[in-house]
Amino acid sequence: MTLLVDKLRAILRRDLLTAVRHRTGFAMTALGLLIQLAAFYFLSRAIGPGFRPGGVEYFPFLLVGTGVYTFFVMSTQAFLSTVQEAQQTGTMEVLMTTSTAPAELVVLSSISAFAGNLFSLVGYLFAGVALFRAPIHMNLVSCLVVLVLSLAIAMALGLAAATIQVTFQKGAALVWLLSSGVWFLSGTLFPVASLPRPLAVLAKLIPITHAVDGMRMALLRGEPIFAMVPTVGALAGFSLVLLPLALWGLTVSLRRARQNGTLSFY
Amino acid sequence: MDQVVFESVRKVFRHRPALFNWLGRERGGETNALKNLSFSSPAGEVLVLLGPNGSGKTTALKLISTMLLPDAGSVRVTGFETVREGGRVRQQVGIAVATERSFFPRLSARENLEFFAALDEVPRRERQQRIDEVLGDTGLAEQADTLVMKFSSGMYQRLGIARALVKRPAVLLLDEPTRSLDAATTAHFWTTIRQLAEEQTTILLATHNFAEAVAVGDRLLLLQGGELLAERSIRSGESVEELRSFYFSLTQEVDKAAELTHRAGRAS
Repeated sequence: MTLLVDKLRAILRRDLLTAVRHRTGFAMTALGLLIQLAAFYFLSRAIGPGFRPGGVEYFPFLLVGTGVYTFFVMSTQAFLSTVQEAQQTGTMEVLMTTSTAPAELVVLSSISAFAGNLFSLVGYLFAGVALFRAPIHMNLVSCLVVLVLSLAIAMALGLAAATIQVTFQKGAALVWLLSSGVWFLSGTLFPVASLPRPLAVLAKLIPITHAVDGMRMALLRGEPIFAMVPTVGALAGFSLVLLPLALWGLTVSLRRARQNGTLSFY
Repeated sequence: MDQVVFESVRKVFRHRPALFNWLGRERGGETNALKNLSFSSPAGEVLVLLGPNGSGKTTALKLISTMLLPDAGSVRVTGFETVREGGRVRQQVGIAVATERSFFPRLSARENLEFFAALDEVPRRERQQRIDEVLGDTGLAEQADTLVMKFSSGMYQRLGIARALVKRPAVLLLDEPTRSLDAATTAHFWTTIRQLAEEQTTILLATHNFAEAVAVGDRLLLLQGGELLAERSIRSGESVEELRSFYFSLTQEVDKAAELTHRAGRAS
């Protein structure tokens, strides 16, 4: 356990130092998120107070929806970038020769990638509340449960992107899918109920839809956990299936890459 | 006990052309990188792998480090088999390769070593002392806190060696370790290699440098086309010229250097 904590600390430190030393990138990301927030604020003002999806004002609806969705996409992208950079610099092969098991190393790296983006999500929500007066009625327990389950799903997506990268050198395909079809279907900008029935059914098969929905219920309507059983159940189900599946997929793909000599192919 | 054992190891790289190959001229097929290679190396030996490009030297080192897995045969390191007991093998092996770029560019040399030492499970209380030692051994003490993105290729290579040494491996794999090093650092590095061998570290050194082979090697394997062409001891006091003529007589390659020397002699 001590070894595991020590390794996680080393990975977090590496990623934090790298992020901080990319000063421009750090500032540009923060600025981009602020501009996005302002755009949503004025969009909701333009639409007017009459539009209240799910019984909440439109700006907080957008704030939570885009915040959670951005967290998923940016976390997957960040984790994929870590894998791609490791392949390009040759670090991947060397990392695979350390005493840390490949699966352990990948999971620890993904925790680090998601911790950074979780920090961004909290900052984004805080900025929405502090700068644009978004009303929040939070149930802390529900919020934490949804967050933990969402993290598990985000990790599974990150591991899936890494698996596609190691196997086909095209991990960006999953990020593209997340930022195109999933964006449209997951209820980020408008309620899923507005979609035609076949698309609404399809939307329910996407875990991000439930994460966005659950976070809105916990953060904007202060729903207690027992009132969120269907959403939390769906999130738990997705986590239990996707995370082990993604881990297994990555372990197999790394072994195949070792066999074929393609670990550092990109 | 032999620290490294290869038994009839075969490694084939398969190349499948792209789906729309008619757009280009990519060739498919197979490369037999190693063909039934067998050898072993005891504790404290410096085993030199010599051979032309594509002879299988790097593939052999990668198989020991578990970067690659064999297609047939077995590779055992300190008694552990690389396919079934990869984790145990990786605890025993350190590797440094010539084309070192495999560091985190926005971390300093020390921060990079701290990161890899943590993943290699070097005890926290010993970590700083070991890092200081290897930075000193590789002549990087003054650049310890410089971001590695500012390093020259020689400094990258030294840092690669430092990383391989910091875990104090039972088996050290070096692939052209002095290719980008200056003369003084090379000489210091050769002394370090001999010291490690005396401390019972098994060292496998792939090189094209005959002077290096003679300076540090106990025994050599000559590889060509993935096969073992010859295996013999390196005698104490053996000259570079002796080794060079042995190499070219067996590989049947043209000794361009000797030709040029001969031509220069005639011209003067």
